[in-house]
Amino acid sequence: MSMNKVLIIFGVISFASIIIEILFVQPHIQYWWHGFVGFDLIFGFIGCVAIIVISKFAGKAFIQRKEDYYDGGDKSND
Amino acid sequence: MINLHPGIILLVGAFLALILRQQLLRQGIMILAPALALVSLLNIRVGTSFSYNFINDMELIILKVDRLSWLFGLIFCIVALVANIYALHVKRRGENVAGLAYAGCSLGVVFAGDWITMIFFWEVMAVASVLLIWNRKVPEAIKAGFRYILVHFFGGNLLLAGIFLKVSEGQIEITSLTNTNDAAFWLILLGISINAAIPPLHAWLTDAYPEGTVSGSVFLSAFTTKVAVYALIRIFSGTEFLIWAGVIMALYGVVYAVLENDIRRLLAYHIVSQVGYMVAAVGMGTYLALDGAAAHAFSHILYKSLLFMGAGAVIYATGKRKLTDLGGLWHKMPLVVILYMIGAFSISGVPLFNGFISKSMIISAAASNGMLAVEALLYLASIGTFLSIALKLPYFMFFGPDRGIEPKKLPTNMIVAMVMGASLCILYGVMPSLLYQYLPFGSIYQPFTIEHVISTVQLLVATFAAFWIFIPRLGGKHTISIDTDWFYRKPLVYFVNFLIDISYIIRFQSGILGNRLIHFLIPFFTNPLKWLKSTKDEPAWPVYSENKYRFPIGTTILMTIIVCITVYSFIWLT
Repeated sequence: MSMNKVLIIFGVISFASIIIEILFVQPHIQYWWHGFVGFDLIFGFIGCVAIIVISKFAGKAFIQRKEDYYDGGDKSND
Repeated sequence: MINLHPGIILLVGAFLALILRQQLLRQGIMILAPALALVSLLNIRVGTSFSYNFINDMELIILKVDRLSWLFGLIFCIVALVANIYALHVKRRGENVAGLAYAGCSLGVVFAGDWITMIFFWEVMAVASVLLIWNRKVPEAIKAGFRYILVHFFGGNLLLAGIFLKVSEGQIEITSLTNTNDAAFWLILLGISINAAIPPLHAWLTDAYPEGTVSGSVFLSAFTTKVAVYALIRIFSGTEFLIWAGVIMALYGVVYAVLENDIRRLLAYHIVSQVGYMVAAVGMGTYLALDGAAAHAFSHILYKSLLFMGAGAVIYATGKRKLTDLGGLWHKMPLVVILYMIGAFSISGVPLFNGFISKSMIISAAASNGMLAVEALLYLASIGTFLSIALKLPYFMFFGPDRGIEPKKLPTNMIVAMVMGASLCILYGVMPSLLYQYLPFGSIYQPFTIEHVISTVQLLVATFAAFWIFIPRLGGKHTISIDTDWFYRKPLVYFVNFLIDISYIIRFQSGILGNRLIHFLIPFFTNPLKWLKSTKDEPAWPVYSENKYRFPIGTTILMTIIVCITVYSFIWLT
């Protein structure tokens, strides 16, 4: 799928979900964000970007090593 | 029909599989034993208990059924059946036996009513499960298996020490230890935490599970951690420190999964993440949270075994296990793609799949407890789940660049098992009341409110958008990730080698020094008569003469007489 098609589908679903949220959802609000229209869209997007960026940063900085880091490496297959 | 312990049925099945050489008979047992266990479980009423008089008038309760253990027993029987069908084509007898025994022992722990029975099955479970890893019979698997079994023996010993304390106080029955905070509490908690894979004690899982055999890993993904979750619900419900342990687990697995290249290790990191939800729920301790933990364990076993079956099918068919080696398989194995995606949607909590009905219970429980940060962080972890399992892994495994791999044909039994798992995931997702009616603490929960569904849809769509932007940066890399197993794979090795060197040096040097010392001292310990002045002129270089070192013969006679007198006087006097 091309970038544009995906963005169009994404836009349509988000728009539809926001309309439904405004029209039909009566949230029982425990925190402010439960009543915030479209909060999950923003949270999902920012959260996903944050997870990718933080993981990649931590990976480069501390976690990732060459494949043969533990003696001889892992050359096996099933 | 009489009540039989479902675990014992599986153990008998394992024994029969051990002595039968014909594969056809073993296959019969691999279907029959779990099926019989399931039937006997469905016949057991809540409240049944069998006890057995052990030594010292200890009453061992081998089977004690309440709603909690019944629910875990049910899912363990179901997954034992599914995983055994998945493993039907396996010719290695040891692996067939280990799978049955492992499932049987898990049921043994679940139905144990006392500490002694529990630790017995707990330890046998560790031994049976390591055989599933060793059966792959390549050096990596054997080494990983050794690390796995050592960690489990360590955890088992901590648990055993705690249990000794409990039993010596006269408490044989398993009871809740929440808020006791004594030595036994911490020892048992630590022992169970190792099995529940709470960081930093989790590395055995992500180290060993990807090294198991294709079907062995399906068993592994289902039992050990969920038995630990069961034990946590039973023993530690409401221990607040577990809330944060669970939240950390949920996010920890997510971070590592983003970096991972090995498909089954990626799934294993998401076991850690998903078990984190359950551990956090156990920490909350409300009825809704505990029911959520039990329900999520139930759902998790179904979808995670399905995911491991899907990844195993890819490994079986292609012989490759890394994202960097896979790609473009979707038109060559479309059925596996569909079945895998059902598992992936389930774990991500897509509505109408079974993850949705249980994960949302835990998040709602956090919200209704007023735990703002816990709710937000668990919600964040579910983004990571969708990202890694449902987007990244299938994209690079099935879609993505075509590497021209020609997959082998899969055995029918593998497909049948995956279809069974997938149908159960959808069945429970569409009809949650099938699961909710058996929940142990009787909380009432409605998953399909429009609010829940809309927020889940929004969350997933937004995650997908972010994924689509980041695709070029998310592909697998030829790296491995170091984790807490680093401590016993690197520094511990150096430390042990250092100790070996030290002891070698001490032994070697003390040998040299000791030799020198002896040579120095020898002259001082020669026969003292040498120092006496001789009455005869001796030759300059003395010739050896026996007489010089001999006592006169009279001395011997004198001593004999003294001994005779002493003995006779003793006899006469007494």
